[in-house]
Amino acid sequence: MKQLRMYLAFSRKAFQRSAAYRFDAWTRLLSNVIFLCMWGFIWYGLYSGKESVAGVSFESMLSYIVISQMLQGIHGAGTPLWEIQERVRTGDIAMEIMRPYDYPTRTLFSDLGNIAFHFLTAVLPLYVVLFWLFDLSIPSSLTQWGLFLISAVIGYLIRYSIELTFGLFTFWLIETGGVEDIFYFSISLFSGSVIPLWFFPDWLESVARYLPFQGIFFVPNSIFTGQLQGQTLVEALLVQFVWLIISFLILRFVWAKATSKIVVQGG
Amino acid sequence: MNAIEVKHLSKQYVIAKRQEGMWGAIRSLFHREYITKTAVEDVSFSIEAGEMVGYIGPNGAGKSTTIKMLTGILVPTSGEVRVGGLVPYKERQKNARQIGVVFGQRSQLWWDLPTIESFELLKEVYHISDRRYRRNMDTFTEILKLDEFFQTPVRQLSLGQRMRADIAASLLHDPSILFLDEPTIGLDVVAKERMRTFIQEMNKERGITVILTTHDMSDIEKLCKRMILIDKGRVMYDGGLEKIKEHFGTSRILIVDVEKDISLNIEGVEVIREEGIRKWLRFNREEYTAAQLIQQISEKTEIIDISLQEPEIDSIIRQMYEQGL
Amino acid sequence: MLAFWLRGYRLYFRMVGASIRAQMQYRYAFFMNILGWAMSYAGTAVTMWVMLSSFKALAGWTFWELIFLFALAVLSWGVCVLFFSHFRSMDQYIVNGTFDRFLIRPLHPFFHFMAMKFDVGAFGQLLFSIAAVVIAYIQLGLDWSLWKWGVFLGAVAGGVFIQSGIVVLISAIAFWTTRSERFYWVVMFPAKSMMNYPLTLYPRILQWLFIFIMPFAFVNYLPALLLLDKKHPVYSPYWGSVSLLVGILFFWICYRIWMLGLSRYKSTGS
Repeated sequence: MKQLRMYLAFSRKAFQRSAAYRFDAWTRLLSNVIFLCMWGFIWYGLYSGKESVAGVSFESMLSYIVISQMLQGIHGAGTPLWEIQERVRTGDIAMEIMRPYDYPTRTLFSDLGNIAFHFLTAVLPLYVVLFWLFDLSIPSSLTQWGLFLISAVIGYLIRYSIELTFGLFTFWLIETGGVEDIFYFSISLFSGSVIPLWFFPDWLESVARYLPFQGIFFVPNSIFTGQLQGQTLVEALLVQFVWLIISFLILRFVWAKATSKIVVQGG
Repeated sequence: MNAIEVKHLSKQYVIAKRQEGMWGAIRSLFHREYITKTAVEDVSFSIEAGEMVGYIGPNGAGKSTTIKMLTGILVPTSGEVRVGGLVPYKERQKNARQIGVVFGQRSQLWWDLPTIESFELLKEVYHISDRRYRRNMDTFTEILKLDEFFQTPVRQLSLGQRMRADIAASLLHDPSILFLDEPTIGLDVVAKERMRTFIQEMNKERGITVILTTHDMSDIEKLCKRMILIDKGRVMYDGGLEKIKEHFGTSRILIVDVEKDISLNIEGVEVIREEGIRKWLRFNREEYTAAQLIQQISEKTEIIDISLQEPEIDSIIRQMYEQGL
Repeated sequence: MLAFWLRGYRLYFRMVGASIRAQMQYRYAFFMNILGWAMSYAGTAVTMWVMLSSFKALAGWTFWELIFLFALAVLSWGVCVLFFSHFRSMDQYIVNGTFDRFLIRPLHPFFHFMAMKFDVGAFGQLLFSIAAVVIAYIQLGLDWSLWKWGVFLGAVAGGVFIQSGIVVLISAIAFWTTRSERFYWVVMFPAKSMMNYPLTLYPRILQWLFIFIMPFAFVNYLPALLLLDKKHPVYSPYWGSVSLLVGILFFWICYRIWMLGLSRYKSTGS
């Protein structure tokens, strides 16, 4: 209980700090909206002259893109990969392990504080207006809303675990250029952030289904737009949850290795 | 000929007033309020070729603004500047050839390159002939021991090494005027001394005019015969170092240990500190001689020990700033 | 006059050579950086491929046509990055005061700042884009006349000028606001990404913006219409042949604005 209170203090601090950097938050939102427009127009172009493709109408596709862009906007308020790498390089992380808390948990709570601020002051108002303005389809039942929320939170936690794990690789690598590119490519393609998995060629779709990235955006997006329902939905949620546990365990393992490396070699 | 001529030089900045809060930020997009801040006001002085002058003042007094106008980085609001006969902001590039500049806080060298490569690049930038380049490099290397770190990238140099490299780089093209902005900041005693010796030598042997801004009064005492004191953008004093002591350093401090701890009330003398029987008394040289004061005290109580403190340049200047002359 | 340019040219290569050597100090990083960039552009190409695997065409553009469009933009962007990438972060030089050093040397400040860095990471962009253009050329069975090769080279050169102009413009903002890098990520990067896809996807007002104000359309879309023999009801394909002209004019305007900002900097020193 006391532990939780301490971690929540980090969230609160980050929330307050975000207020000072609100210019950054708004500019981030601006670029988020430009990308939303871009993907909106691209999908509009792809659908021109077609009623539905692979059983998906343009309306649900648009809804998919908007919710996906909204989730990406929220994720954008967390600590980006390059910053984690920077913290490793400058030795900031090495300093943090001397403190009486668990660093990955601490960062998570800080990020949640940032995200809460960004979500409440920027992302939520904007996207409420967008959904209302374009009359997009939203979950019709409370259960669907609930499942979407659960899935979106799990999605964020998966991303957090993977991103921090990739960032911690910096402890062992001199140059991280390649690692970064693998991460960003996987996040942008295999997560279904801009192209839903059902439009993938079959073989690639099966590859994507066996990767953890689909849990980040594809599953929550599909629940939101109603593409996932009934038993497949439960299955997808379960798979997502399993991936969360796996990526969390990997993160803990890599973190333990990193800590012992700091302790033994001084970073 | 005067190396530097400054007449009624002023510099004003117009700054947008910062609006507080979220509404303020939005409002400031459409409407801004401005305030005018005067950094340098009606400054005049001239410096002869070959002089070495200390240009001093507290933070924000207008030192760097003046230096920036003399080097052509900033355009003055009004007044005249001439450096070696040129108007720096009009003929910036030509002026750049006749001056050397060292900013103590940040290096002018190429950060990622081995130190020697910065020198080679500067040779190109200033069109320095091979002969002159070699001659200067030999001299500087000998005095400043540059060869110890020729192959080290500038970012890895220690502060002392970096300053040595920076000052050598600023003199590579034989400038006739050298601007030094805080050249000894952050250096240890040995490095400071080495720096001062080098500056002195360059001034004496090559006749380079040197203008030096600093916080460290011992720099001035060791190097300069003349100093220009600036505060709140205005020149407060321009003259010799000795004169300033004579004119402004009139207060002295007498430290006495007396037998009985009694209060020493003497007219025109201020007790500035008391620690039991030891007392610090400030008096004006023009009103009392030390002997007179000692006699007055001994009339009241017996004196055990005694010492006299002459004013230091540091404290004189502090006093000048506090009292505004 | 000639001697002046020759000297500038020699000095530029001296300084740039030094910058390259500095980057080469970490050889592994040097190659990983190049490879990383090439891979990340290849990633976008894969995304395009996945997208078109179900839809076959986008606004009348097939996959290889799309790749050509994309690669043409990356090619000139790569050259632009080589020379101008560090302009984006000019705000940092101004904020921490290091910008002054470009004003104490007997060199033109724009030239001096430009010669500051030569970003070899951009070889990654060039690697990807040249390979992609070549493969697309073969896949599309193109056979250009000399005139079209001229248009192609003009488009690349014009694209370099246009995109460099925007980067210079963004850096100039720092003279007024002490911020520039942020504007790159918020404005130029998204705009650049939009131009990887056919211009006609976007509403008329955006199309005009990209033709007449921020002339991105001359970087790839308009020249590609001409080079791939595509028709458009409004934009004559011949518009694509004037990229270089548009680029030089645009760059000159941006450069003038930069110089205007510099004179402001000299009077405020902010």
